[in-house]
Amino acid sequence: MLAVRPVPLAQGVPMTQALVDGCVLSANYALIALGITLIFSIMNLLNFAHGQMLMIGGFMVYYVYGVFHLPFALGLLAAALVLGLIGAGFERFLFRRVLRVATREENSMLLAVGTALLLENVALFLFGEKQRGVPETVSGVVQFAGAFLPYQRLEVFLVALVLILGLLYFVQYTRPGRAMRALAQDRDAARLMGVNVDRTAMMGFAIGAGLAGLAGGLLVTVQGVNAGIGTDISIKAFIMIMIGGAGVVGGAILGAVVLGFAESIGYAYLPGSLTYLLIFLALILFLVIRPRGIMGHPWG
Amino acid sequence: MNKPYFAAESISVRYDKVQALREVSLVCEEGTCIALIGANGAGKTTTLRAITGLKRPFAGEIWFEGSRIDRLSPPEIVARGISMVPEGRRVFPLMSVRDNLMMGAHLRRDGAGIRSDLDRLCDRFPRLRERLGQNAGTLSGGEQEMVVVARALMARPRLLLLDEPSLGLAPMVVRDIARLIVAVNREEQVSVILVEQNSRLALSISRHGYVLETGRVALAGESAELLVNDHVRRLYLGAGAEAEAS
Repeated sequence: MLAVRPVPLAQGVPMTQALVDGCVLSANYALIALGITLIFSIMNLLNFAHGQMLMIGGFMVYYVYGVFHLPFALGLLAAALVLGLIGAGFERFLFRRVLRVATREENSMLLAVGTALLLENVALFLFGEKQRGVPETVSGVVQFAGAFLPYQRLEVFLVALVLILGLLYFVQYTRPGRAMRALAQDRDAARLMGVNVDRTAMMGFAIGAGLAGLAGGLLVTVQGVNAGIGTDISIKAFIMIMIGGAGVVGGAILGAVVLGFAESIGYAYLPGSLTYLLIFLALILFLVIRPRGIMGHPWG
Repeated sequence: MNKPYFAAESISVRYDKVQALREVSLVCEEGTCIALIGANGAGKTTTLRAITGLKRPFAGEIWFEGSRIDRLSPPEIVARGISMVPEGRRVFPLMSVRDNLMMGAHLRRDGAGIRSDLDRLCDRFPRLRERLGQNAGTLSGGEQEMVVVARALMARPRLLLLDEPSLGLAPMVVRDIARLIVAVNREEQVSVILVEQNSRLALSISRHGYVLETGRVALAGESAELLVNDHVRRLYLGAGAEAEAS
């Protein structure tokens, strides 16, 4: 796994450093997992392009903040809006028709893979292959309990936390959020309540994509971005929802926490490539025992 | 030409090659409760699905409050004042009882009205008030039936469709539900179309009845008369054994 590797900053005590890094990573991963879970729960569709969407979000911040020197917040806004539009567009013009007429689930899956390739190649064409980074938005390091935490990472952690809480509030307490939950749990019953399935699905896809974009915009401040990171990120997203349970919000967060800490602890104590080898092996074993994930529901 | 309050005129519905309904006509006058009875597979649920827009009939018309509704989508039909309580107690299992009820009011925009309706329904169903915060999937069958009826009522419908509300419920619970339907019909002036396999129940609380057999209306009339009709008694009221014994 080449991209998105948390580099321990200084020689802090490995375990405390790993725990601190794990928190930051988990928060960012939770943003990713929640986005893909939202799309999956409403449309029963695995967004293969999720990693590419994150990558594009990173590039939005790179250009708005890094190149044009506009405020970082504006860059994040751009990331959210651009990806929201892409997500809405995908649902409206690509997936809506295919999901309605497709006789096999594989058709929508192939389309999803196609969208990933589309976004990745458009990005390569527009942005090129080079790795990009952005200057710090806030400098300095805070040290506590034997660990070093750069303010940049703390900012990423806090912003991610706010976004996660905002999403949870939206899903739990607002009318459109409730409609999305209802649609995910019983499509026909939701229609009988008057829920506009098309519009709700489009909103869900837009929000899910927007979350990926925001995650990418945050991540670029910590480890840059290049046009090729999409696939690795998507794989991590799949791992998280497989661990936590697909289509369940609690499962997404749980999966993110598990992966975030597994990764940071692994990188602190093990040689680089061994970490993900062990993660994959553990995942395979885990899925044999519990295919639905920790909080997932049995299929059917 | 004056149309009845609610009328299905000669509707026919097809699922692929199978014709589920053949020229079914029924009428519901304002404020009345009518029953639709018949065996499994006779077409009762299909009729309700046609009315709510889940399955469009290929022939015939459906009229409600003076306008034609058979070409509308489910959200449009709900907006017109028709709510359905689906078969099988389709609560949203992972949502609280309160959220389930709020979903019933999804198309409404009057916050104060929604809250007061929620209150009123909790008065009518005290058991729901106790369980407002609980996930609907964890409730008993009878409680879930209350949730879905209350949920449908949250839309302030003028016509309520019920698909086999007594299915799988204990007799005492069925009695409660029946009393509920009658109360809703009389006190809230909600017209009711009740689909039931429990024919005795349906005919005893409705004014008119329709008997569906293999997609056709085989018999129609006042429920009181259908209750003593020979054919109905033999096939749907379990009077066959007595008839043979006598």
